[in-house]
Amino acid sequence: MRRSPKGSALFVFGVAALLIATACSSNNGSSSSSSPSGAVKKGGTYRSATSSFGFVGDFDPVGEYTAVGFSYYQMLLRTLLNYTGQAGAAGLVPHPDLATDMGTVSPDGLTYTYHLKSGIKFGPPINREITSSDIKYAFERIDSSSLVAQYAFYYDGVIQGMQQHSGPPKNISGIDTPDPQTIVFHLTTPTSDFPARLTLAATAPVPQEVAKCFTKPSGGYGNDIVSSGPYMIQGADQMDPSSCSTIKPMSGYDPTSHLILVRNPNWDQSTDNLRKAYVNGLNMSIDSNVDDIFNKISSGSLDGSFYEIPPPTVLQKYSTDSSLKPYLHVDPQNTTYYISMNLLVPPFDDIHVRKAVNWIIDKSAIQKAWGGPSTGTIAGHIMPPSMADLGADYNPYGTPGNQGDLAKAEAEMKQSKYDPGKTGKCTASVCSGIILLNRNEPPWTDAEAGIVADLAKIGINVKAREMESGAAYQTIDTVKSGAQVGISMNPRWGADYGDPNTFAQPLFSSDSLIPVGTSNYSMVGMTSSMAKKFGVSYPAGGVPSADSQINACLPKTGQDRTTCFQGVDKYLMEDVVPWVPMFWANQVTITSPTVTNWAFDQFTGFIALQNIAVSNTATP
Amino acid sequence: MWRYIIRRLILVVFVLLFITLITYVLFFVMPPTDPAVLFAGKHPTPQVIAQVKKNFGLDKPFYIQYLLYVKHIVLGDQYGWPGLGFSFTTGKAVRSLILEKLAVTFALSVGASIVWLLIGVPIGIISAIKPGSIYDRLGMGFALFFVSAPVFWVGLMFLWIFWYKLHIAAGTGYYPISQYGVFTWANHMIMPWVVLALVFAAFYARMVRGNLIETMHEDYIRTARAKGISERRVIMKHGLRAALTPVVTMFGIDFGLLFGGAIITETVFNLQGIGLLSVQSVNNGDLPVIVAITLVASFAVTFMNLIVDIVYAYLDPRVRYE
Amino acid sequence: MRQDQSIRSDRVEVEPGEAPAGQSSIGKTPWQLFWRRFKKDKVALVGGVVIIALIVIAILAPLIAKMVGHGPNELFDSATNEFGLPVGPSAKFWFGADRSGRDVFVRTIYGARTSLAVAFLATGIATLIGVTLGLIAGYLAGSVDMVISRIIDVVLSLPLLLFALGISAACSVSKNGCLHGLVQPGLRLVVFIIALFTWPYLARIVRGQVLSLREREFIEASHSMGAGEWRIMFADILPNLAAPIIVYTTLIIPSNILFEAALSFLGVGIPQTTPSWGRMLSDASNSQMFTYAWWMMLFPGLFLLITTLAFNLVGDGLRDALDPRSRR
Repeated sequence: MRRSPKGSALFVFGVAALLIATACSSNNGSSSSSSPSGAVKKGGTYRSATSSFGFVGDFDPVGEYTAVGFSYYQMLLRTLLNYTGQAGAAGLVPHPDLATDMGTVSPDGLTYTYHLKSGIKFGPPINREITSSDIKYAFERIDSSSLVAQYAFYYDGVIQGMQQHSGPPKNISGIDTPDPQTIVFHLTTPTSDFPARLTLAATAPVPQEVAKCFTKPSGGYGNDIVSSGPYMIQGADQMDPSSCSTIKPMSGYDPTSHLILVRNPNWDQSTDNLRKAYVNGLNMSIDSNVDDIFNKISSGSLDGSFYEIPPPTVLQKYSTDSSLKPYLHVDPQNTTYYISMNLLVPPFDDIHVRKAVNWIIDKSAIQKAWGGPSTGTIAGHIMPPSMADLGADYNPYGTPGNQGDLAKAEAEMKQSKYDPGKTGKCTASVCSGIILLNRNEPPWTDAEAGIVADLAKIGINVKAREMESGAAYQTIDTVKSGAQVGISMNPRWGADYGDPNTFAQPLFSSDSLIPVGTSNYSMVGMTSSMAKKFGVSYPAGGVPSADSQINACLPKTGQDRTTCFQGVDKYLMEDVVPWVPMFWANQVTITSPTVTNWAFDQFTGFIALQNIAVSNTATP
Repeated sequence: MWRYIIRRLILVVFVLLFITLITYVLFFVMPPTDPAVLFAGKHPTPQVIAQVKKNFGLDKPFYIQYLLYVKHIVLGDQYGWPGLGFSFTTGKAVRSLILEKLAVTFALSVGASIVWLLIGVPIGIISAIKPGSIYDRLGMGFALFFVSAPVFWVGLMFLWIFWYKLHIAAGTGYYPISQYGVFTWANHMIMPWVVLALVFAAFYARMVRGNLIETMHEDYIRTARAKGISERRVIMKHGLRAALTPVVTMFGIDFGLLFGGAIITETVFNLQGIGLLSVQSVNNGDLPVIVAITLVASFAVTFMNLIVDIVYAYLDPRVRYE
Repeated sequence: MRQDQSIRSDRVEVEPGEAPAGQSSIGKTPWQLFWRRFKKDKVALVGGVVIIALIVIAILAPLIAKMVGHGPNELFDSATNEFGLPVGPSAKFWFGADRSGRDVFVRTIYGARTSLAVAFLATGIATLIGVTLGLIAGYLAGSVDMVISRIIDVVLSLPLLLFALGISAACSVSKNGCLHGLVQPGLRLVVFIIALFTWPYLARIVRGQVLSLREREFIEASHSMGAGEWRIMFADILPNLAAPIIVYTTLIIPSNILFEAALSFLGVGIPQTTPSWGRMLSDASNSQMFTYAWWMMLFPGLFLLITTLAFNLVGDGLRDALDPRSRR
């Protein structure tokens, strides 16, 4: 979930008991739930702006894999199961949405059966009742490779008969629809988190009569999404679905300028206990200048921000002025920002060098670059508190004030083969001219000087290379070009699952090592034969693996599983050391006084558009 | 004359073809990022990457892609004529995207050019009338300052002083007339207009002054003076005509250049024009948009060159085209 | 993107058709005469002094930094508050600090190094290429001239900054940059881009000058004495072009300084740790920092302005001295 160009990092759902509330209390700013007492009034429009939609799948639910996209889908689409749109652990627990209940699982864990609530209709212009085959059709679309589904791996090979194929969507043998209200999934293997996968937007019902007209993502169904939720795209009722040639893009969505959502007249509050739908609509415009967005919020022409990080000047203003403080909303997400070291590239092939780097980095300076404590909690280890909480006490490289410790770094460096003279500095020739990869936008660039200077203190001399975020990711997720980069500060990771494994397997397992598009940027678990296959050189000392530790946790469930993954986190921090975890991010949202009911959606990690209320009288 | 224009037009076509070819080579053969991988999602299988390549038309050999591109420009594509394809990042037709952004750039260029003519030409004339006078020194001091000052710095300083400190100008951002009305729109455009215009005004002042001083030493001016015509008339009637002819040339070319987007002015003032679009599309590896912007920009330059040459023929009777 | 102000500066006037650049005076005007006229131009002399001072500052930058006691990339925790906002000018930080907590004064001084080095190097390379190709095109004429002239036309009609961004993006990916490591990201890339888009201006001017020179008697004389083409080009024609080349080169330097600043401002090539005025201004404009930390914008901008102003003054002075008709 890290593909979106700018802000949207993640969405998280999960079953583990989370300690988000604790993390929250350590932050300044208002608490997440500032609902006033008394009844909340309906009406008005949430007027906001975003620097870019950052969509990766042209807004087609099958391909849109960004938390930002999911925020809009929470207004537009309903799935079998979904979330309550609130902050904290409760916001990560799936509830029935289109389904009447949480479904039934067969004893072998291979068959899941759901019944649909009756009387739920598609929005205009379709206006007919939603049936189980509309949901099945959504799964069929996932497998039509020309639509480029972005998270098909959650379903392919898991549901019987699901695999990518060319040509239009076709029947899936593992999904039965015995009647219009019932849908049955047959799995190939027991998958304990399967219900959570049914909350994702790609599984929301799709009317075939419209969607069959679109075989490509570009200029496709994303322009004509038929609503099943409380809101629809403005102009949906003007769309003529009588034939493919008469379907024109709905006026409320223009990928380069705006997204306007209005009420869906067919939505019935009595069937939906997950969404409050206080506002009459949403007006999201594109403004590439983040500062302008916040200027407009403080002048009152916008009601609030969306995913953009407020600039430090704005943070200071809202944190220090008591009259403004209520409009600053700080909510922990479930993302780790980190520095990744490539285990194939000298001198980072030596664990002592990697440990020395962990000792020397001044994390408080990094936090300052982001705008201070409200932007995140300094990370002592890999997994954020919501994944497998080791507690704030566990910090194997903790230093006073988190400012780094030269003596400990030098002591570690002395044990390295790259410091033969035991000087405490990296003195070998490989210690110079290393590429440090960074993004080309603030606050990443503001943090760069500190990291470069820190590394220089232990003799590691890097050349900073700044790239646009997508290009930077592509450089390190391609094994070959990644091997030219020793150390990178551009990545961040937000979990797709509330399950701690989402912070293990994709990031540190050798299964994740693929030539292009890997997320194991540190190359943990690379073997010499794999290195040969990928065409990269392999260090003489080998590369540590975390495979057996991770695999041991996979069959476990419940608290056992959490404890096991805590062990993985410890093992990674102490025996592999692929990262310098920088901080666990907060989402900082600024609103104007017009927002009378604030809500945060822990699932998307952003403002819960479906549950906020505003006092303005603007029309969408 | 017509034969000349047609010959020039043919040349324009060839230059444009050549420029699109260069753009294609630069951005498609040595791209910073593989757009297919960028849009293939997480953990892409090779099949998915191949599929995205196919959707984007990147699966064909480079020269076929280029020929198809040229074909679509000439004959149009599903989005109309000229066919410029669709944007990788937004899935939107590049043609409508460019037109949308061009409106902003056009508003910026037209406003700025009016301002710079209104400032630059009078300063040049006043300086030239009495070289060495206090007006001349002030005028040329102004010109030298803005010729030397970096536009982004001037832009930031203006924002800081007039918007942030004095609150007499509106801040950054583009406010379309259709949504906010003429007043708000113009209010937000004034500073970009002035800032972009100042540099040009400085050049025009220097050029007008130089030309006018030179003209005033010509024989026919001396003759006019000898005939007892008032100095004012000599300058206005005879001097200016000759001195301003090169200004027309310059103006045409500069105006054409602005269609490529005033990248820096648009960046500083957050105007969503062609310039900002080009920065974003380079960042995102949005190749069809990059090529289209290059095409529009080069077309504007070469086309304005042609217009200027034709206008020149009317203004300056000595110029004849065969 | 020539229009975009910053980088255009005197280029327009430098074009051969418009600048009367003394075809008539070359050859006749001895160097002494030229120098005597230049010496009388007080303003230009002031410009010259400023340039020398800037060069001295650039060379002595490490020494100045040592005296102040702050390195250009040294971070001071006390220089930013808890929100990461920098402190303003004070006895400790004369020009204030930036977002990373670095001394803006020391970085501004170091910025002179970057600016001057890039401008001199790029202008040097561009002059070398431009003069050589201009000579060849003007002297050999015919199809060679035709090819070179068309290349010049095409390069001049490319959207400059867009291409600069594109080349920069393309050359930033691999560790070794592009063109087999010749163009590496960072300063080298910036020099390459500036030179690439600057040489055509000089080539055009030189070509124009050569076209008029090659008909002159002394060239005829060389021919009749059996001198080879290359000898005539470089031994007979080139020395006669020395004066205009110096003038135009001087005038191109300030525009290249602005070009470098514009590229850095747009984030092309130069990383945040390299002190560069353009990059410092870009940091000031990011997140509209200048509204809070005006010092991040004012000082690097002033130095940039003073530098280009000085070069423009000297350039104008040299041109006037070369061709007294174009008095300022």
